[in-house]
Amino acid sequence: MQVEQIQKDKISLIGKTVLKKEDKEVLLGRATYAADINFPDMLYVGILRSPYAHAKIIKIDLTKALKMPGVVFGINGQDLLKLDFVKPLPPFPFQSIDPFKRRNPSIKFFNHYCLATDKVRFVGEPIAAIAATSPEIAEDALEEIETEFELLQPVTDVQTALSPNAPLLYEEWGDNIALRFHVLGGNIEESFKEADLIIEEEIRMSRCTGTPLETRSVVAKYDADKKNLIVWDTTQIPHIIALLIKKALKIPELKVRVIQPRIGGGFGQKWGLYPEEVLIPLISILTGKPVKWTESRTEHMHAISHARDQIHKIRVGVKKDGKILGIEDKILADIGAAYYQGGHASIVTTAFFVPGAYKIQNYKAEVLGIVTNKAPFGAHRGFGKSEAAFVIERLIDIIAYRLSIDPNEVRFKNFIKPEEFPYISVTGNRYDSGNYKTALELAMEIGKYWWWRKRQAELRSQGKYIGIGTALVIEPSSSTRMGSYNAGYYSVHIRIDPDVTVNVFLSGGEEGQGHKTSTAQIIAEELQIPFEKVNVFEGDSLLCPIGSGSYSSRFSVVGTSAIIMACRALKEKILGIASKALQQPKDDLELIYGKVISKRDGSSITLEEIAQIAYYEIYRLPENFEPGLEILYHYRDPNIDFYPDEFGRVKMFSSVPYDAEMTVVEVNPETGFIKILEFVSVHDCGKMLNPLIVERQHLGALAHGFGIALSEEIIYDTNGQLLSNNFLNYLIPTSQEIPFVKIHHIETPNPFTPGGFKGAGETGTVGPPASIANAVEDALRPFGVKIRKVPLTPIYIRQLIKETMNKTV
Amino acid sequence: MKKSHVININVNGKDYTVTVESRLLLVDLLRRVLGLTGTHVGCDTTQCGACTIIMDGMTVKSCTILAVQADGRKILTIEGIGSENKLHPLQQAFHEKLALQCGYCTPGMIMNAYALLLNNPNPTKEEIRRAISGNLCRCTGYWPIIEAIEYASKLLSKNLEK
Repeated sequence: MQVEQIQKDKISLIGKTVLKKEDKEVLLGRATYAADINFPDMLYVGILRSPYAHAKIIKIDLTKALKMPGVVFGINGQDLLKLDFVKPLPPFPFQSIDPFKRRNPSIKFFNHYCLATDKVRFVGEPIAAIAATSPEIAEDALEEIETEFELLQPVTDVQTALSPNAPLLYEEWGDNIALRFHVLGGNIEESFKEADLIIEEEIRMSRCTGTPLETRSVVAKYDADKKNLIVWDTTQIPHIIALLIKKALKIPELKVRVIQPRIGGGFGQKWGLYPEEVLIPLISILTGKPVKWTESRTEHMHAISHARDQIHKIRVGVKKDGKILGIEDKILADIGAAYYQGGHASIVTTAFFVPGAYKIQNYKAEVLGIVTNKAPFGAHRGFGKSEAAFVIERLIDIIAYRLSIDPNEVRFKNFIKPEEFPYISVTGNRYDSGNYKTALELAMEIGKYWWWRKRQAELRSQGKYIGIGTALVIEPSSSTRMGSYNAGYYSVHIRIDPDVTVNVFLSGGEEGQGHKTSTAQIIAEELQIPFEKVNVFEGDSLLCPIGSGSYSSRFSVVGTSAIIMACRALKEKILGIASKALQQPKDDLELIYGKVISKRDGSSITLEEIAQIAYYEIYRLPENFEPGLEILYHYRDPNIDFYPDEFGRVKMFSSVPYDAEMTVVEVNPETGFIKILEFVSVHDCGKMLNPLIVERQHLGALAHGFGIALSEEIIYDTNGQLLSNNFLNYLIPTSQEIPFVKIHHIETPNPFTPGGFKGAGETGTVGPPASIANAVEDALRPFGVKIRKVPLTPIYIRQLIKETMNKTV
Repeated sequence: MKKSHVININVNGKDYTVTVESRLLLVDLLRRVLGLTGTHVGCDTTQCGACTIIMDGMTVKSCTILAVQADGRKILTIEGIGSENKLHPLQQAFHEKLALQCGYCTPGMIMNAYALLLNNPNPTKEEIRRAISGNLCRCTGYWPIIEAIEYASKLLSKNLEK
């Protein structure tokens, strides 16, 4: 009886909406972002950036600038070379070649320093820095730096870059190809022999970027006596940055601590080693003063990592009934200058996932990562999968149109079936679980697909161009890569203090996802300690266990798993101590709301008393029990496999969330303007830890997807000058552009994680380019318009309509 | 040309007399001189609205106004509308509706909403949607913010009834 009574007290928070505990300070305006950190005597850094896309540096003379009142320090690339402890920027995320030499791409590395030394390769590349007593003075001083360049021919598109006489970004390479990769499965030629139809297409995605609303900022403080360097950094990967700073600044006994303060959005743009993350610490070391640099938006657009920008030359073989037999893809990616390799990894990822949600076992993809005189390529929410999804989902609609069948029939015919999971894809990754047909049917039902089809015909006779598009996109997450810092595990340190407050130290960090709340929900339920008593710390390279940071939606996959498993190990210890104290067998004990209770006789012991035993009355511990109630737990992702299977394939992405979408658009052929009339998303990220957090992140991800689909485009002119250099001309959606979205969730548990969770938060970014493009082509069917790229700007739509009109005339 | 000026400014009910350079922006006065870092900077082209504050009852993008232009004015920032024990209904609503993720746009968004509700205590969703179109958010997709502002308007009218 007593136990049943107490069962009601059981803390049960996993799977429930709990409001975020970390937001109060933000709401009151008291949260500390990197740019909010100040020290007395602090210097402000201004960075001079290359005005040219491709040039030899002849002179960067700081003499005049250094004479200005308030200017304390200045440095250029040649000065760097005189400091023997300064090394080139270490590569990231790949640190070495693949030890198995089977699956990794061949990558050419290049030695860049944190300031350009002899040559510049993109507009915005850092070439000199000034430290002054105010940011205004630093900026004034930049204008006094005298420069001279010898201009070289810029390379601004991949075709030019590949041409035989192309100017070379890195002369010693002999060409402009930074990365080659291919992946092969089944037999593409054999499969094409059986095809009723072989379709060839060229599908593109334009260059874009994540634009977190907070630009980058780095604050560094060096204590020369102790050789202690503390860096507050807008990064998603504090531990790795700490390590890389030490590789770039070889000072004996240097101690580096990188702290990720509150971050104003990451989206992949803060995943990577940027030159400024070495430069600012270096200036603190050389001046002995605290130093701060905060990026302007214009600098950000020039120097932050860009993404997407792929051309796919694709061939697909199909049967008359829509069955896909095989796909061959040649991918050209414009990766900009070769500073960081985050983008390299993203194109390899695209090659892995072009087959998408479909059972396609004949596949061949060749990838070229091509350097151009643009800002370097990097990570961006939807990392490589957005491109893959756009290509395959566009292709499905093209196939359906060519075969005169409904595109969803083609999808249903080719989907991997629920009973076929775990499913090994043709590229070797193991998809954990999925219910694709159910999800798409639900999206069509909520969106009234067939009703809209009728309505479309009616409205078309009235001269209105309505289009309906669907898509089912996957977003494989929690990635690991051989030879990289993405290591396939997650560590957590949990300490129950003597007063039974819990301190949790996560090895990742966060950019607004709500890890503190999610973590506290798990701890509260698993350890039956009130939510309010759980303190969560993360984003500190000294305080927290080593980890590879926050990326690839990995917290909800490996992070939560580490926390759950750590709690279960701690619980075992708690029950063991209680068993001895209560003189009751462990199996009869239950941990409920701060107490261990015997189901046999109702006797109980509080967690406070157990903690007292563990810390201060260790003579009451069971034999062989260590004192204390803390654990350092390393969770190894069970759905990752480093060792190649019989076909040489490795499993590098451990969970596959997905989204089924239905979009209805109205296109005005006069203006090229697209209005979204209906948008339905049926999202499955496995079990949801906190449904409201998931829903909000999913909507936010969809908003990125709408931007990529409709308006966001990084544009360079033929001189390599960036035209989309601020929010006036790089158009991220405002409140006016985001349509109302009907979101529905289904939960297909991930069998590989103890909580059943998959990655969440990126899938929304992946779908809209595909589902909207499908809808727009459908709307403009009477014009015979072919949509083969995003963004679908009014100019692009008008241009397509004009082209087809000219053809008919 | 005079390079520095003495200005008198009231921020969140507190009077300050400060000497500022002619070119100092109001947002830098707030953040760097007065240490009120709740107001954020997200761009340098008056596009993002993260720096929105209220000056004499009107919203102002504080990155596009000089500190000297605020001489003699009354400024209200995110730090001035609620306290730890008593969140302003807008702050409460943003919390309950989970209308923020990274939180960087939130102070500007809330100050804009504050001014909206001063002029229009019961806005419709569409009115709110239009009113916040000058404030960029990269995390939420805006609808949670619209929902929160609508909810806050209801909380505020309830408070008035009391």
